[in-house]
Amino acid sequence: MELFALSAAEMVRGIKAKDFSASEVFASCLSRIEALEPELSALLALTAGMGREEAARIDGMIARGTDPGPLAGVPVVLKDNMCLRGVPATCASRILEGWIPPYDGKVAELLAGAGAVFAGKANMDEFAMGSSTEFSAFHPTSNPWDTGRVPGGSSGGSAAAVAAGYAPLALGSDTGGSIRQPASYCGLYGLKPTYGLVSRWGLVAFASSLDQIGPFARTVEDLALLLSVIAAPDARDGTCSPRERPDYAAPLAAASLRGKRIAVVKELDAMRSSVDPEVLRVLENTLNLCREEGAEIVEVSLPVSLEFGLPCYYILAPAEASSNLARFDGVRYGLSCREDSLLDLYLTTRGAGFGAEVKRRILTGTYVLSSGYYDAYYLTAQKVRSLMKAEFRKAFGRCDLIALPTAPTPAFKKGELVDDPVRMYLADVFTLPVNLAELPALSLNGGFTGGKKPLPVGVQFIAPQWGEPELLNAAAVLERRLGKAPIAPLGAATEGGNAP
Amino acid sequence: MTFRYIPVIGLEIHVQLSTATKIFCPCSTDYIGAEPNTNVCPVCLGLPGSLPVLNKRAVELGVRAGLALSCTIRNHTVFHRKNYFYPDLPKAYQISQYDLPLAEGGEIYIPGDDGRPRRIRITRLHLEEDAGKLVHSAADGRLEGAAFSFVDYNRGGVPLAEIVSEPDITSPREAREYVARIRQTVRYLGVSDGDMERGSLRVDANVSVKKTDETSGEVLYWGERTEIKNMNSLRAVERALEYEIIRQTGVLAEGGSLERETRHWNDGEGITTSMRSKEAANDYRYFPDPDIPPIVVTEELLESTRNALPELPWAKERRFAGEYGLPEADAAFMAESLPVALYFEECVKNGAAPLRAANWIRTEVFRVMNEKGLSMDSFPVKPSVLAELVALVEGGKLSTTVAREVFAHLAEGRSLKDALPAAGASPGGLSAEDVEKMVDRVLLANGDVVEEIRSGRDPKGKKIKFLTGLVMKEARGQADAAAVSGILERRLGEGR
Ligand SMILES: [Zn+2]
Repeated sequence: MELFALSAAEMVRGIKAKDFSASEVFASCLSRIEALEPELSALLALTAGMGREEAARIDGMIARGTDPGPLAGVPVVLKDNMCLRGVPATCASRILEGWIPPYDGKVAELLAGAGAVFAGKANMDEFAMGSSTEFSAFHPTSNPWDTGRVPGGSSGGSAAAVAAGYAPLALGSDTGGSIRQPASYCGLYGLKPTYGLVSRWGLVAFASSLDQIGPFARTVEDLALLLSVIAAPDARDGTCSPRERPDYAAPLAAASLRGKRIAVVKELDAMRSSVDPEVLRVLENTLNLCREEGAEIVEVSLPVSLEFGLPCYYILAPAEASSNLARFDGVRYGLSCREDSLLDLYLTTRGAGFGAEVKRRILTGTYVLSSGYYDAYYLTAQKVRSLMKAEFRKAFGRCDLIALPTAPTPAFKKGELVDDPVRMYLADVFTLPVNLAELPALSLNGGFTGGKKPLPVGVQFIAPQWGEPELLNAAAVLERRLGKAPIAPLGAATEGGNAP
Repeated sequence: MTFRYIPVIGLEIHVQLSTATKIFCPCSTDYIGAEPNTNVCPVCLGLPGSLPVLNKRAVELGVRAGLALSCTIRNHTVFHRKNYFYPDLPKAYQISQYDLPLAEGGEIYIPGDDGRPRRIRITRLHLEEDAGKLVHSAADGRLEGAAFSFVDYNRGGVPLAEIVSEPDITSPREAREYVARIRQTVRYLGVSDGDMERGSLRVDANVSVKKTDETSGEVLYWGERTEIKNMNSLRAVERALEYEIIRQTGVLAEGGSLERETRHWNDGEGITTSMRSKEAANDYRYFPDPDIPPIVVTEELLESTRNALPELPWAKERRFAGEYGLPEADAAFMAESLPVALYFEECVKNGAAPLRAANWIRTEVFRVMNEKGLSMDSFPVKPSVLAELVALVEGGKLSTTVAREVFAHLAEGRSLKDALPAAGASPGGLSAEDVEKMVDRVLLANGDVVEEIRSGRDPKGKKIKFLTGLVMKEARGQADAAAVSGILERRLGEGR
């Protein structure tokens, strides 16, 4: 097996045992990237030089007998909305083109401290607004399972990178499903942590009250490994919880799901017609496996979340975004269209710098915050959000986990929904209530569609606040039944995983 | 019908809180004199990905000021984003407070125009971050006509408390008194240095004029209000309002109408000029800042802050008048600033007669401080030493004239022991017995004059003064002239 195809845990073990070096691992990943990037366009920046130096430094530490940390020599891809000092962070927007962050985000600090090696910055929907990565201002990204399809979004570049074997690990950000939906489309594990588990310091904000950084991986062990590194308190983010983080490796040892209550959602029944039958089949199959592993399947009701979550989200997220994105005004950094008057500087810069979807959301957000409309939209949506939180709290009185499809369909074709924002928004109907309720949720690959080009289909598990161990526990048990997430069959042959 | 135009004034005062670091980042608040854009970090530059973290000290100082102004402090408060575009505002929103201010519903008393205390209600006190500073290339330093502008973010993110009054102020003089009172209070509290020239206390005035019927008092017309900015001293506040009230009254008297606008006070020319009209009212799209969790002001914080409040200036004034019998003006002067009040009380504790101590501080101490540009804290004459000097004068052992000379030496840093002989006074001073003996000698040597006085030939008291002068000369100034003439009068009366 080539080194790039190893899991992160296998890489760490091999590097620490001196079976191979961090430099060799990085070189293997780099050649994989170089071979496939023309086809996938998953990255916005390749940090080859920085990575090579870092890998050599890790090798030096190993040679001297120093422990480089839990991610010793593991290549990691960052979504391009995360600050890494000295490397451009564009958020896939023209308006930030050329901006080089003078500081590291908290996750970048933690990763570097754990011995990780940065491989590159991943493509995304502009400012994380979108579900297909087609709204990148630079180029779309292809789904490694079918290059005619989208990888999902907004963290589509991160997902495609891990699915294609660029790196075993990547970070994405999830505001309404932006980790889980691409994880589903690319056949990976993707975790959206409880709001406040991971610091947002250095994450370019989309919707501050919903954004969370989370891991992509092809094995549950890797997912837990990356989560353990990034889940840390941070005094520079007032919304990051100071609570002690549990041991995320411990739940992987669970033998079964005995004693666990896993809930299906009553309202899904009425929505069946708008969900792809293959998605429902994979969900059913996964629930059967849970039952076989000893879980009790129960039913809960989430009427508010499933009916009003989407409109609520599309008021609150744009409202916060309209304010968060106001700083891109051409005065200090990024794109600046020189004009004779201040107003023209603003208008021309923002007109030229933002793409259509971002403008749509800024306009929506500005509208719902305007005097005269604030109460009807923003305030009402906040009330709905409170109801959703209460509804989830009540549901978790009756179960340990809630199971839902991650997305209503498998990966759709490129171009299919670009001009239909409302249908595009529907791709997040099962994921965004989780952000509004500030809960953790995990998407795992539950199986594949039939046909000539099988597509992965994700299943989403939702836990109560700080319930990440519960999610990892279930994922670890199911991984033994479903197999690890495979590298997509692209280019050089790959081994392992549950490829169909 | 005759009309009367009555001004209605409300003030918004921005006070820079004396925290060591900015309100949402670790940068220093001491930016004066720093190279532009060196006192900055990703947070106060609003760089993508940066996040604000509230400086708890700013909340504590806000609570302190709120309590001193008799406000109700909110147990739960939040920060809002006030959204607008301007180059001095790097995030394009200011983190401020909106409908849930830290403190509200307070009051403060000022000397009113009628000489009686006037209550000015405080609407609210809220916290917010300061903006950066724009420097325009135009000759007059203003945006209009400037070919380019510079932005300095050193000041951006410095914590401010905005104190808003109700429109209870009815004259420019009262406005000045109000600002002086607020400035005095924040200085007493150690909440701000209140320096208007350096901009750590900034005043915006909302002023309008209402037209009333002179006889019935009925309000016939409310003029639109204008907001005046750029008043950088107490004097400027008073002058700008005087000008603006005359201007507004003039417009209304001629049947014209006023528009709601912001006007700029030009101190050099003594006029206000229009900056911008508020026809297109700004919609700031306030909403709670999702980056900053709600602030809980605990009972413990309230209690400990309340207990740690110093005696406030108005309470001190009352006490100085009551306890020490100081006249109102002296009491106010001694309570004007905390260092002066402390100095005064220290003098009194060391045995100085309060009224005499107050006089010395008002005149001599302040004269020397002004001449030498000293502050009370660095003043070389310790209050205990001044108390000794005052006691010598009070006891008639030193004339005021010589005491002033002694004081001048003390102010040069000499000890009292060295200063007394330097001013030609004997270190121990003269005892009452010594003075009596001198009077005896003078009376004996001037029998003819004594006779003239005793036979009533000194209607204008000139001769008594002559004798007093002789005693003083003998005492080389170390006796008190009033005391000497008192003794002389007594002795001359005895033989009659
Ligand atoms: Zn700063």
